[in-house]
Amino acid sequence: MIAYLIRRILMLVPVFLAVSVVIFSILHFIPGDPIDNLLKIGSSPEARAEMEVRYGLDRPLPVQYGIWLSNVLRGDLGTAIVARRPVADLIAQALPHSLWLGGLALLFSTVAGVGLGVVAALNRDRWPDRAIMGGVLLGSTMPSFWLGLILMLVFSVWLGWLPVSGARSWTALVLPVLTIGLGGTALVARITRVSMIEASGRDFVTLLHAKGLSPLRIQLRHVLRHALIPVVTILALRIGWILGGAVTVEVVFARPGLGTLLIKSLSQHDYPVVQACLLMLAMAVMLGTLLGDILQAVMDPRVRAALA
Amino acid sequence: MTFSFRKTLLSASVSLTALLAAQAVAAQEAIFVMATNEVGAPTYNPIKATMLNTATGLIFDRLVSQAADLSYHPWLAESWEEAPDGMSWTFKLKEGVTYHNGEPFNAAAVKAWIELFKAAQGENAYMAEAIASVEVVDDHTVRFIMSRPEPNLLYNLSSTFMGVVEPKSYAALGDDYGVTEVYGTGAFKLESFAIGQETVLVRNDDYTWGPAEAANHGPAKVALLTFREIPEDSTAFLELKTGGVDFLLSVPADLIGEIEKEPDLAILTLPGQDLWYMPINVTKAPFDDIRVREAAAKAINQQEILAAVFGGAGAVADTFLISALPESHVADSAKISYDPARANALLDEAGWTMGPDGIRLKDGQPLKVSLWTQSDSIFRRLTEVVQAQLKAVGIDAEITTFDSSMIRDQYKTGEQQLAVRSYNWDNADIVDWFFGGDRLGYPNVSMFNDPKAEELRAAAMTGAKNSEERVANFTAYHEYVLTQFPMAPIYQPLQVMAYNADRLIVPAKIDAPAFGAAAFLDLEVKE
Amino acid sequence: MRTWPAPLRALRQTTGGLAGGWLLLVAAAAILAPHLTPYAYDVQDLPQAYQPVSAAHWLGTDEFGRDLLTRLIYGARTSLTVSATAIAVSVLCGMVLGAAAAWFGGWPDRAVTVAVDLTWSFPEILIALILVAIIGPGTTGVMVAIAVAYLAQFTRLTRAQIMTLKGETFVEAARSLGAGTGHILFRHLLPNALAPVLVSAMLATGDAIILEATLGFFGLGAQPPVPSWGGMMSAGSALVFKAPWAIIFPGLAVAITVIAINLYGDALIAELDIRQKLRRTA
Repeated sequence: MIAYLIRRILMLVPVFLAVSVVIFSILHFIPGDPIDNLLKIGSSPEARAEMEVRYGLDRPLPVQYGIWLSNVLRGDLGTAIVARRPVADLIAQALPHSLWLGGLALLFSTVAGVGLGVVAALNRDRWPDRAIMGGVLLGSTMPSFWLGLILMLVFSVWLGWLPVSGARSWTALVLPVLTIGLGGTALVARITRVSMIEASGRDFVTLLHAKGLSPLRIQLRHVLRHALIPVVTILALRIGWILGGAVTVEVVFARPGLGTLLIKSLSQHDYPVVQACLLMLAMAVMLGTLLGDILQAVMDPRVRAALA
Repeated sequence: MTFSFRKTLLSASVSLTALLAAQAVAAQEAIFVMATNEVGAPTYNPIKATMLNTATGLIFDRLVSQAADLSYHPWLAESWEEAPDGMSWTFKLKEGVTYHNGEPFNAAAVKAWIELFKAAQGENAYMAEAIASVEVVDDHTVRFIMSRPEPNLLYNLSSTFMGVVEPKSYAALGDDYGVTEVYGTGAFKLESFAIGQETVLVRNDDYTWGPAEAANHGPAKVALLTFREIPEDSTAFLELKTGGVDFLLSVPADLIGEIEKEPDLAILTLPGQDLWYMPINVTKAPFDDIRVREAAAKAINQQEILAAVFGGAGAVADTFLISALPESHVADSAKISYDPARANALLDEAGWTMGPDGIRLKDGQPLKVSLWTQSDSIFRRLTEVVQAQLKAVGIDAEITTFDSSMIRDQYKTGEQQLAVRSYNWDNADIVDWFFGGDRLGYPNVSMFNDPKAEELRAAAMTGAKNSEERVANFTAYHEYVLTQFPMAPIYQPLQVMAYNADRLIVPAKIDAPAFGAAAFLDLEVKE
Repeated sequence: MRTWPAPLRALRQTTGGLAGGWLLLVAAAAILAPHLTPYAYDVQDLPQAYQPVSAAHWLGTDEFGRDLLTRLIYGARTSLTVSATAIAVSVLCGMVLGAAAAWFGGWPDRAVTVAVDLTWSFPEILIALILVAIIGPGTTGVMVAIAVAYLAQFTRLTRAQIMTLKGETFVEAARSLGAGTGHILFRHLLPNALAPVLVSAMLATGDAIILEATLGFFGLGAQPPVPSWGGMMSAGSALVFKAPWAIIFPGLAVAITVIAINLYGDALIAELDIRQKLRRTA
């Protein structure tokens, strides 16, 4: 098991390096230059050159990359060019908001999705199944910014129950979490339902029935446990998807977070900030994948046996 | 300068607990939403910033203040005197004034501040350019020795960019000044600043030196001010409507009707300082032909835009300056107004004949031009109306939308033909800013560089010995620019603000060009 | 009946039929737009702005007094063309890359695999936003962005299909009969891999419509006055309290169309009996 873990983590190294190269180089293809935003209008080329030296933008790209990567690995994310403060400070301001939003949305999708999926599977092909599956399909096909605006219209404007935007209180989290969570719920419910139905057909279930256990007990105690393996794996794989959803939702609800920081810095060409945000998001995805693999290994007896 | 990343994660988890604490709205606390065109200001450093927001004007006092009638009144300066030849100005400073960090405000501080301002060589340096040196006459008297007469000096000194910074901390903090810490003499102190998100100011309890126009000279009646930055007007409006915030510092005209429907909300208007216009790139065909420029300019139906896009609030613009400025009074022949007959005649004359599909043609080529705009919703709406109006005279304008903060880079390429823009300024020197031949691309989006205009510009900027001369020179410069059609004026909005009248008592009369320090001193929160 | 192609057989199921019917309706409306609509999508009628649903304007009007139904129909043209073209490009490139990786193995395979893992490390919306920032706003930028965002999916799927098929006896037989690489790839492997790829392309088109709408919400994509569903919702978001219909209807159009694509796709999967093939690589 330990050997598997180490191998699995080592496999992340080349992907991390590739990701860092892409993040670093792709930004330099975006037209426009952050230095332009800093320079006095009508500045001399010398002033420009001086500014480039100051931010290290005068050196060849591979050298810039090397410096950047070694700084990042030492925990130094650089200084924001436009915002003029350590990138780490900006990330520290934004990250907790995104973590709460993403974490709660993940929790919501898991709880609601598994619950609905179980109910649907237990009532397979009857009306509760059809109603739930229809409902979650609807939830997954609405663009998240649209769903967010509609929820805002109904719960904040018409009913006046929840704040419209921002992050000044806990209640401001409810609508953004719902907006992202509903999309995830659909996915989890579908997978839970399918794997419950599949697991019900397995030999051990027939055996349990033969032993005279109550059908509901079999479903909830034994079948669900098997059915949860793919759910957990898919959820971990989908962390990136949830973070992606957070980008738009943060903008809709004018919430602080990595998404709003990224969009703002992208439009200002504040390279160090964009690089740091992308790196954070990519690392979250990679860790999610890793987590998914590990959880699968821990939960699936067959994989566990193969690794032992 | 750079923190270790581990420390950052630690502080991240600490702020998680801060997030846990419920934030009850205490009495004597008010939540403002920053004007949409002030969203994203990266620093509270008035010397180096090119963009400052309303909160900056509360942290920093100025030597003089400007009243609604654009006259100047004492603030940190008790009185002042200009030498008859305009070559020196003497300011008598208020006594007993201290900065937020306890340092005294005196003649030496003013001298140090002006020297920092000049040394920074920033984009704002022109404001102090005519000041050759500063003499400390006595502890509370300071004299500016001028290199030339500057009739605009009091205007510059009243501007937020010349907010008086505390020189010692400014020198010590470097680029962190205005970001992590900032000290002025203002009625409020900076408590926290999350760029693009929120600024919190607390009352300066020692404050007693408010500007002459405020009824209350200090300390302020509101203890805590929160300024939120919300990029979308509609979201800000919904926050106000649902009680999430108390005051919107900008309200687009099309929302006035919605606010009037709400019983607890009130509208506050002040004369406008904004002007919307359509720059025309004079170097790009077909607009290198002045007839085509004039035609495009006169195809813009300002009245229709005022009524349909802005709900009739504000006024049409027919010059490049807001009507409150004397330099806007140019000859009628130079004013630019809707004249479709003239526009059509000019295009015919220039060889662009009407084609079968309503688009003009010349040598088989359609009259197709690009029209750039910004992604904010009001820009997009106005631009679509402009597009339709240009089409009415046979010009096919293709819209390209850029992110608001990205569009400057695009203008620097000089590839633009037409664009829709707005500016916020209440001094005639804005003509120099947007049409000066040394700023091609941005801010001179029109790429206008005309020898006669440059001569008139020099006379206007540095050639005047007194205010009357300055007005005359600027009027002549402005008038000449208008006759070359490097842009079409469109609209002058009012400054429209809105607030929750159940929560706030807003002073009945605001004797200032904007809702600034004086108004904030008089503002009250209902118990 | 058995000889009917699967896409038609899928229509015979209740949900598949309803979903397919809706898709045909939207496609027909988009193609026939100029003949269906009494209004022009770009002619402004400012006094008629913000009209609610009425007999004259079935879905109301927008802030310029333009008929929303007209714009919704023309918007279908933009949104469907952009999404479908992007996915088509993505599928073509993905099949080439995937087939090459699977067939040649070795370093081409490793390179493609790393590239695929790489794209999977970023949420689609981020890939699209950054690419549009590089290419510039407009439909071309959006198409490229969507195509790249989904490239990994099709590459991976094709690669997996070819890998499985490579070991099948009929391929071995063809090879032993002296068939060339090109012959085996194009005559035997790709046609057999086609069905699952096409079905997953269809489902991805639904996602692409949402992605296109999201980019439109950020003001990227079709430039005014040309309507797209995302652009309409973006404009509508500023009017949400004043003219809610301006954002509700385009959103419903997206939701219903994407649901229809999913349901029809499900029916198609059932008809083709390829659920297992898709599952293996999901």
